[in-house]
Amino acid sequence: MTSPGSPPRVQPIVAGLAAVGRTWERFWFAPADSRPLALVRIGAALLALAAWWSYAGDLQTWFGPDGLLPGDVVQAWRADWGFSLFDLASTRAAVTAVFIVTGSVFALLLVGAATPIVAPSSALFFASLLHRGPMLAGPADDCLAVLLWCLAVGPAGRHFSVDRWLADRSGAPPPGPEPRAGICRGLLQVHAAAITAAVAIAQLKEPAWWDGTAAWYAVAAGDGLRGRVAGLFADSEYLTNLVTHAITFLAIVSAGGIWFGPTQRLVARAAVAAWPLVGWLVGEPLWGLTLALFFLPLACDGGPTAVEPEDDDHERRSTRRRATP
Amino acid sequence: MPKPASIRGPETVAAAAVPALPELSRAAVTVALCCYLVGLALTMLGNTASGSSALVRTVKGRLFAPWMVPAWLDLGFDHPLASGGAGAADHALEVGLLPPAANRASRFPELRVGAQAARWRRLARAVADAADDADRGGPLAAAVGRGMFATLGGEDVVVRVVRTPPPERGAPPQAAETAYAARVRSRDGELQLLRSEPRVEVAPLVTPPEERPR
Repeated sequence: MTSPGSPPRVQPIVAGLAAVGRTWERFWFAPADSRPLALVRIGAALLALAAWWSYAGDLQTWFGPDGLLPGDVVQAWRADWGFSLFDLASTRAAVTAVFIVTGSVFALLLVGAATPIVAPSSALFFASLLHRGPMLAGPADDCLAVLLWCLAVGPAGRHFSVDRWLADRSGAPPPGPEPRAGICRGLLQVHAAAITAAVAIAQLKEPAWWDGTAAWYAVAAGDGLRGRVAGLFADSEYLTNLVTHAITFLAIVSAGGIWFGPTQRLVARAAVAAWPLVGWLVGEPLWGLTLALFFLPLACDGGPTAVEPEDDDHERRSTRRRATP
Repeated sequence: MPKPASIRGPETVAAAAVPALPELSRAAVTVALCCYLVGLALTMLGNTASGSSALVRTVKGRLFAPWMVPAWLDLGFDHPLASGGAGAADHALEVGLLPPAANRASRFPELRVGAQAARWRRLARAVADAADDADRGGPLAAAVGRGMFATLGGEDVVVRVVRTPPPERGAPPQAAETAYAARVRSRDGELQLLRSEPRVEVAPLVTPPEERPR
């Protein structure tokens, strides 16, 4: 918005800043439907439980008082300021107790009970689990930790949850679009773009992604169905090249395509379908599924968080579209 | 029975009106978001495998790391996931009792599958990759060896990381190689780590003719 008294040369700058401000407001603060967040919550909780369970079999071997990863050794692997609730557990029983509490928190997140408290607690416990053994954490853990913090910001328990069931019983009206849901979805969108952009850049630094052989190396040691895919790749160099380049293309398109209205929903839906397949192919299925969850809200309804041409009624229409897509 | 709500279906019941955030709250959230987005950019810049500048490291370390690290948010996300080099090699951990004749050893991940096996592979890779890091690699290998004393029933073990590089396309599988090996033993309550250096070819020591003693 330009002020009437501004000099002519300053007016375009003021107008530009005002446009940036409006875009920022629309992106972050337009109320959004929280149902897609509920789906993300359920998916994230299932993945967190899967990650948690992967520690269960060797819990004492790794984190027990006489385990392979004593606290003083792990401290050297942590960044400064890193800490874990597991540091407080000095006996086998205490380690098991903290571990069970962690799993219980993830289970509560899954069913959506006391979500405003459980969602940030889940992120805290998950970060704690990863800090206890940083050298055991992988790409899926990194992305899932971020996803859980995003959910902690938004109203992820408004739908498909115990909280919703209790609210229905007490006669509360169904929740409408909320500004916090918009913030949460904005964070998911920013991280979806950031992660896929980082993946694309990391791939483009490796010769194997340029010469088209990376897909082969991803499945070369695989067995079962991945072993059969390896057989196909061994038979056809062109197929190997095609899949390799398709993965890089997917990463680039995922990072950029979700910012434009006409492509947003299409790209988000393609990402939801394709990243789990890529994750499976490269031997990181949980990573692929986690990445798909970042794109899920955009795939459900898309639109409002894209950068679109402005007009006077845009904000009103954008809010309405989130309410009744 | 109430009809289940569809994800994108129109609301049939009047939804609870949620007021827009007040101006002051939006300003506070905007500041918080700006801080976080700057932190996100810096952590990604500061965690690349290519290294980072002193400026990025310092700004990130002083202003953002204290609150992003505990939340496990100090991340680079730069996972190429397949590289064809040593990064794509399969790693396994072996801890065996010495002397070898005792034939008692544990291998990881062995029969474990999925995410659990992947964590063991990451541990094995961490031991191998940090072998030359005196602060991290040595203590980790020593801790792994000591942790297996009770399981193996002795206080003199060898910790070995076995690496299997991926085969070239259409080529037969490559042989596994030892990426790291060290002997871990306890002597009078003191833990000792004796790293096995790989054998390398060295040039013979030849003295130039003019420098030979006559």
